[in-house]
Parts: sequence; C-alpha cells; structure tokens
Amino acid sequence: MDKDFSSRRRRDLIIAAVLAAIAALVPLFVKDVYVQNIMILTLMYAALSQSWNILSGYCGQISLGHALYFGLGAYTTALLFMKFGVPPWFGMIAGGLISAAIAMALGYPCFRLGGHYFAIATIVIAEIALLLIQNWDWAGAALGIDIPVRGDSWLKFQFTRSKLPYFYFALVLACVAWFVTWWLEDSKWGFWWRAVKDNPQAAESLGVDVFNSKMGAAAVSAFLVAVGGSFYAQFVSYIDPESVMGFQFSLLMALPAVLGGIGTLWGPALGAVILIPLTELTRSYIGGSGRGVDLIVYGSLIILISLALPRGLVSLFSSRKGAAR
Amino acid sequence: MTTETIIQSLASGLLMGLLYGLIAVGLALIFGLMDVVNFAHGEFLMIAMYATFFLFAFFAIDPLLSAPLVAAALFVFGALIYLLIVRFAMRAKANAGMVQIFATFGLAIVMRGLAQLLFTPDYRSVTHSWLGGKTVSIAGIFLPEPQLVGALVSIAAFAGLYFFINRTDFGRALEATREDPGAVALVGIDKNRVFALGWGLGAALVGLSGAIMAVFFYIYPDVGASFALIAYVTVALGGFGSVFGAFAGGIVVGLVEATTALVLPPSLKSVGIYAVYLLVVFIRPRGLFGSM
Amino acid sequence: MTITRRDVLLGATATATAALMPLAARAQTSEVVIGLTYPLSGANAQIGVDAQRAFETAVDIINKDFELDLPLAKGEGLPGLGGAKIRLVFADHQGDPQKGRAEAERLITQEKVCAVLGTYQSAVAVTVSQICERYQIPFMSADNSSPSLHRRGLKYYFRASPHDEMFSAAMFDFLDAMKRKGTKIESLALFHEDTIFGTDSSNAQLKLAAERGYKVAADIKYRANSPSLSAEVQQLKAANADVLMPSSYTTDGILLIKTMGELGYKPNSIVAQAAGFSEKAFYDAVGDKVEGVITRGSFSLDLAAKRPMVGKINDMFKAKSGKDLNDNTSREFMTMIIMADAINRAKSTDGEKIRDALAATEMPGEQTIMPWKRVKFDEMGQNNDADPVLLQYVGGKFVTISPAQAAVAEPIWPMK
Repeated sequence: MDKDFSSRRRRDLIIAAVLAAIAALVPLFVKDVYVQNIMILTLMYAALSQSWNILSGYCGQISLGHALYFGLGAYTTALLFMKFGVPPWFGMIAGGLISAAIAMALGYPCFRLGGHYFAIATIVIAEIALLLIQNWDWAGAALGIDIPVRGDSWLKFQFTRSKLPYFYFALVLACVAWFVTWWLEDSKWGFWWRAVKDNPQAAESLGVDVFNSKMGAAAVSAFLVAVGGSFYAQFVSYIDPESVMGFQFSLLMALPAVLGGIGTLWGPALGAVILIPLTELTRSYIGGSGRGVDLIVYGSLIILISLALPRGLVSLFSSRKGAAR
Repeated sequence: MTTETIIQSLASGLLMGLLYGLIAVGLALIFGLMDVVNFAHGEFLMIAMYATFFLFAFFAIDPLLSAPLVAAALFVFGALIYLLIVRFAMRAKANAGMVQIFATFGLAIVMRGLAQLLFTPDYRSVTHSWLGGKTVSIAGIFLPEPQLVGALVSIAAFAGLYFFINRTDFGRALEATREDPGAVALVGIDKNRVFALGWGLGAALVGLSGAIMAVFFYIYPDVGASFALIAYVTVALGGFGSVFGAFAGGIVVGLVEATTALVLPPSLKSVGIYAVYLLVVFIRPRGLFGSM
Repeated sequence: MTITRRDVLLGATATATAALMPLAARAQTSEVVIGLTYPLSGANAQIGVDAQRAFETAVDIINKDFELDLPLAKGEGLPGLGGAKIRLVFADHQGDPQKGRAEAERLITQEKVCAVLGTYQSAVAVTVSQICERYQIPFMSADNSSPSLHRRGLKYYFRASPHDEMFSAAMFDFLDAMKRKGTKIESLALFHEDTIFGTDSSNAQLKLAAERGYKVAADIKYRANSPSLSAEVQQLKAANADVLMPSSYTTDGILLIKTMGELGYKPNSIVAQAAGFSEKAFYDAVGDKVEGVITRGSFSLDLAAKRPMVGKINDMFKAKSGKDLNDNTSREFMTMIIMADAINRAKSTDGEKIRDALAATEMPGEQTIMPWKRVKFDEMGQNNDADPVLLQYVGGKFVTISPAQAAVAEPIWPMK
C-alpha cells in the first residue's frame, strides 16, 4: 500500500513535469493571440481552482467567497503600484500575505460553522468586502483602477502585445499550486485534512488539531488565490470591484475543481482545461447572436457533468490512476 | 431624522421582510426536506414572474387572480425539475453536496439562457393591475397595497404551511421522509414521490411570491439574481431545516435592511443584512431556529 | 494567414477553434470588417440586441443606395475603397472588462477588423480601448459617457457623442434658464447608482451644483438592481428638493418611479441623466406616472420635422427592431456612419490611416441625425460640438425643450 502510494506519487510528479514541459513549448507553435489568451485563462483558472481545492476539496470547508482573496490580491497590487509606485512583484507577495492573514482572521469565527452556514458566511463576507470597495473613493470606488500600459517592462510586469510573459507566469503559478497540493497531500497536513473532511469528531479524538489544520488550509489557499488576483490585475491592466470580487467569480473559481474532481490532485487542472476553452469558444462563436444560446450550452454541460460524473472528470481515469479518493 | 421617517422605515421594512420570507420559504422547505440547496431558486422566481406577466399580457388576467394558476404551474415545474435533475443529483455517491450545488447552478444558467431565447431580454412590466400603484396612507405613513397584500399572502402561506405539515397525512409523510428516508420506504411511502411533491410545493410557493412581485417589480431574464442571495441569507439566518425560521428570517432581513439605510449610505444597506447574519451564526451556529 | 492557421492546428485546445475559423479566414479585400463589442447576454442583453439593429441599419444605408443627405448613403459601399461593403462582427463581452479585452483582441487578430466600436458599459470600454491602442486600431465609443475615458492619453480613442460632464452641463444650463424665467429652483436631490455611470454622473452634477449655487439637499447612492428602493425614496421624500436628478438604468428607474408612487412622493420635476429614462421599456412600464419627466438626450425625433431623413432612418430602424431610435441607438447608428466616413476618406483599412482620417473629420451637423453642431474631434478624441438636448415626455412622446435653438416646445414645469 505504502509502496503503491509512493510510486503513484512519483508517477504524478513525472506526469506533471512532462505536461508542464509540453505546455511550455505550446506557445512556440501557437501564435494566435486569441488562442494564447484562452490558454492563459485556462492556466489561471487551473491555479485558482487548485488553490480553492486545498481548503474546500481537501479540507472539506466549502468556500463560495474566494473572490474576496482574488480581489484583495488584485487591489493590493494595483493600489501599491498606482499610489506608491511599488512594482507588482512586491504587491503580489504583499497581497498574498494580507489575504492569508485575513483568511485566518475570518477563519477564527467561521470555522465553528458547519456546512451551508459556513458557505453562506463566506459569500456574505466577500459581498461585504465588495460593497466596501465599491464605496471607497481612494481605491477608485466603482470606477476601478486603470493601470496605464506604457511599453514592455519586466519590472512593471506589463507587455503591450506579447502574451508570452503572461503565459509563462500563469504556467508557473499553475505548477506551483499543483506542486503545493502534491506536497501537502503526503504531509501531516494532508492527512489531517482528510480526517477533518471525513469526520471532524473522530479526527479530534485521534489527536488531530482540527481548528489549526483548517486555518492552515485557509491561509495557503488564500495566499495562492491572491497571487492569481495580482496576476489578473497585471494581465487585464484594469480592475473594478464587480469583475474581481463578484459572487459569480467565486463560483467560476470553484467550478473547474468541482467538474474535474473535487479534493483530487488532477481535478482542477483537468476541469479548467475542458471548461475554460469551452466557455470562451461558446461565447465568442455563439454568444454574438444575443439569444442566450451560449448560456444554454454552458449550463447544460455543467448539469450533465455534475450528474454523470459526481466524482468529476478524473473518475474517467481513476481505474488507472486511483486519483479520486 | 423624524419619528415619522423611522416609523415609515420600519413599516416598509416589515412589509418587504414578509415578502422576503415568502420568497425564501420554498428554499427552506426543499432544504429541510432533503438537504438540497437549490441554486436556481432565483430563476424559479423569474419563471413565476414571466408566467404572471404572460397571463396578464395575453389573457388580461390580474396577477391576484393568476397567482393560484402560477403557483400550480410552478408546482408542476418544480416536481419535473426534481424528477429530471435533482433526483439524479441526490444519487451521487460522492460529493453529494457539491453535485447538488453545481447541478442547480447549471440549471440556473440554462434557465436564464432559455428565458433570453424565448422571451427576449426586454424588460417587461405588468402595467396596470388592481393593486399596482395603489397605496394606503395612515397618519402620514404609506403602505403600498401590493406589498400589503403580499405580506398578508405571506402570513397566510406560512399559516397554511404550518397546518399542512402538522395536520395532514402528506405533511406527516414529508416530515417522516425528512427524518429517515430509509425507514419510510418500509411503511410503503415512495420516497421519490414525496420528494417530488416537496419540490412541487416549494416551487408553488415561489410561484405565489412571483405573482405578487410581478405587480410592482420589473421582469427580465436575470431578475432572479437580485433576490437569490437575500433568499439564501434569509433561510440560513432563520436556520436551515426550519420552515418557520424563514418567516422570522425574512422579517429580520427586511427590518435590518430598512434601518441600515437610516444610518449608512443606502448603497451599503445590504452590509447590515450580512453583518446581522454573521453575528447571529457566530452566536448561534445553526441560525435562529435551526435544528440541523 | 495560412501560417497562423497551421500553427493554430498544433495547439491541443485549438482544434475546436480551427473548425470555426473558416468564417474569419474569408476576409476579402472587397469588404471592410468592423468589430462591435456589446453585452449580448446577461443583465444588459437588451441594450446589446438593440445596438445590433442600429448598427445593421447604418450598414444597410452605407452598403445600399439611398437618397439621404448622410455621408455614404448614396451609391453602394465605400467609394474610397472601390465600393467595398462593410461587414460587421459582433462579440459578446457580457459586461466583463476581461472578456471585452479578449473579444477585442480576437476581433483584431482573427477577424481582422479595422475598427472597433462599443461598448455600452464604460468599464469594458477601458480595457477594449487599451487593447485597440496596443494594436493601433481606432476605437470609437458609441454610447459610453464616462468623461475619464478620453482623458487617458490614448491616440486611437474617439467619441463623437457627449460625455457626462457635457450632459450635466446642459442639464444645469436648462435649470439656469428656468430660474431666469422666475421658476423657483433652489435645491436638488441626486439619485445615482453605485457604478461608473452613476459615480461619474453624480461627480459632475455635484461640481456643477456647487459652481452654480444650487443646494444639494440629498445625494443618494444606491446599489444597482436592488430588490427594494423604499429606504432610498424615503430619504428623497424627506429631502423634498425642487428637482430630482436620477442617474439610473431601466430596472432601477422603473422601481424608483413605482416606489415613489407608493410612498406618496411627487417632486416638482425630474431631470434625468437619460439611461433608463430614455428606454421604451421604462415608459411602457411607468409612462403614465411620469408625464412631464425631463431627460437629457443626444437625440430627438423632433428633428425629423427639420431634417426629413431622421424620420426615414427611424422608420428603417423601426422595421428592424420594432422600436423608435432612442438616446443609445441613435448614437450607435451615427457612430457607425462617422467611422465608415473616416475609413472611406482614409481609402485604406490600415489602423493608423483611419486614425488620421478620424482626427481630420469635419462633418456638419446637418449631415447627421443628431442635434449636434458638427463632428470634429479634439486632440483627446472627444467631439466637443455634440450638443446635448433636453427632452420632455409629454403625451406619450418626447418633445425637445432645450437648448433654445433646438426646442420645439416650452417646458411644462412643474411636471404633472
């Protein structure tokens, strides 16, 4: 069993390395910026969903308010840059740390709540933050923050036409999120989380520090999502409260993991690879009709996958990989 | 701020709160029965409002008269949704909670898309009705008739529901199925039938509120989104599993919303609702009347 | 083109795109492709669908032969490009700045559009115009009114229609004129949503109120698409200002008027920042309750009396959409004509040449369907000669009441 497990883990790592290497080569052949844009979004959502999965999938604390951390990352980076000239690389770390701290501060009262009470608490906290920023004039309020792009610069992490720097950053972020998950899966934390998810009472009696293991999951998850938010601010070069902190965004972040396989190592990435290109292509090529057909296609697919494959798309591979546990 | 302003705020808040309760009760009922949160709840409301509108536009039926028709139509719709979708979501052996959330979330998106396709994205309104635009004024306090009637319907619906759950065979079957679905099968109750009827009943209540809302609210494919989050918070505040918690939750939400707008800028009035929700569940982790 | 296509085929995710590509690949020299980004699904889909009809009407007029005193109406297609026809490509941005950005980039790189128009929501215009700037493709705001848009130092940004400060100034000019005639207007109540539109509008109005000596009795910011506006209306009622100035879209506009009726609040007059107050759906819903409401606008059907082509074009639009031209659709129509005129003069689909032609635009007002003096862009790409009008809703239609040179009727004050 142990040997099986460690050989599976080694195999996962090799597969991931090979996939990442292949992904890194793709832009050398695919020059179309529209397709590159879809690939960047796919990687970004893979990273976000992977990070969401740490708290909600592995640790079982369903958060429907992760847009809060995404928005905090985006706003911290953009505000530090626009108001104080701090390069986004520092803003990214600052946003991650602030988000992790806030996740823990919020976790303190919220982790006592069960199931749906917790999920709704996460929704309303994110909504409160959204409303506050929407009314905060110094942070641009509803007008948002327009980050002027004046030429290519690595220091400012902005590029006028080239998508490659964004692509490689998103790829690194997705790999980091994957690797953190991979690493934690086999750590003390990973075992704690599975115990907490399956049965918190039993976990407690076995000596698992239930509360602190939830706090740890929240902090890691929030940090990574915030870095994703910083990336978004640089990539789009404009943020406003609704587009980075809206409730829909929290659901969109969870969706790849849920469809791919919640609480699994490969689920979020697999979900993102299927879902994001599909969303973008349906909108681009059928959405222009203005008749809502894209929504019908997209929604039907979510229903079908969630009904037909409750363990997610990874279950299609599970006989071979035993990924869904 | 005059006394009159405060009384008017509280009165408006109370009326709106009773409506929120009526909108949310279907959600509470379905959740209480089978632990499923319907993320398409707002879209059910949207369908009900469209049904009311079309009955008015094509047959000139006043929303007050069409309310029972709309409720009946939604009953059928709710039962069908259970039989066609939710039934399968509940069978999921893994991640049942997430499967239900996202199956109904997908349903919500499909319903919006279909509404846009079939009804066009135009904004609709019931332009004239018996109640629309009428208002009762008592000592300078204005009580709009649509909301007043809505509040009465809400109280009547909750009273009816109370009687129904406690005094009828079907109500008892609902309660029994909720407590132990395995055991009821032994006494010959078909679980699926009870659940389908539960979904039908929950949707019928949304139908009732949709007909009332149509009198004074605009109608378009995304209208459900304005009410969905408030409905979830209302149910959770009252306590999941308690149908009457939704009644209390609705009143609290309505009053808090109205009073928050007295002290904070109105654009922040939802912050009051959300803060009260957090406060309540931090003190009582199962809401005001939650049992599970 | 072929190289790109082969490359695309190599991408794993791109297979599906490739299947859909032939549409884009068929770009011919005999046609000029213009991209449009609008909300075509979601809460504002109706606006996007109406905009489609307006743009299609404009393109019909350009591509076919019409006897109208409008640039490019006579003869088929663009004479400057050998009679090339205009083809439109619509993209759905769903009101999301990120999606707008991606769609603009797709329009430019895949559909090879030579200009982009849009976007309704100002937030989306921010990112779409950024992308156009990067690709040196002209972008023209058809219906965005945020004044910050043209002040960002963009070289490829243009806007023929007025922005919120011009609109607000016209509203205050009207109030000033009424005051001179002896009407009592001392206090104002501002009512605006918490979006870019609402914020820009109220900022402009607050500034003008201070400059011109009006008291702002209430400045109420509300959350767009709220389930209830009771609390907001009570505060308006308590403030009891002489004029109510709402900046609201259709949904909140309807709810505002209904709630005002229910709470027994009737201001002397309403002077609205268009948006919902120029939409047919709004008047279908609450028209009977707002007899005499005044709204700013960039368009007036009254002009048809002076300029018969306005009526003809309105009929053409109505045949497509079932609606009269309004504040939005008229601007969308006109923007397409102005862009096509520039492309025609540029005699090229090159972004920079079109940009230069746009900068050199000098179109007399008589050749537009708008009440504008002329179309001429300043160095920031803004047309400062697009004079707004004030319209009053009387007996089921709009009449122009201000400014004096465009007015066809005396304002009714207070409203009924």
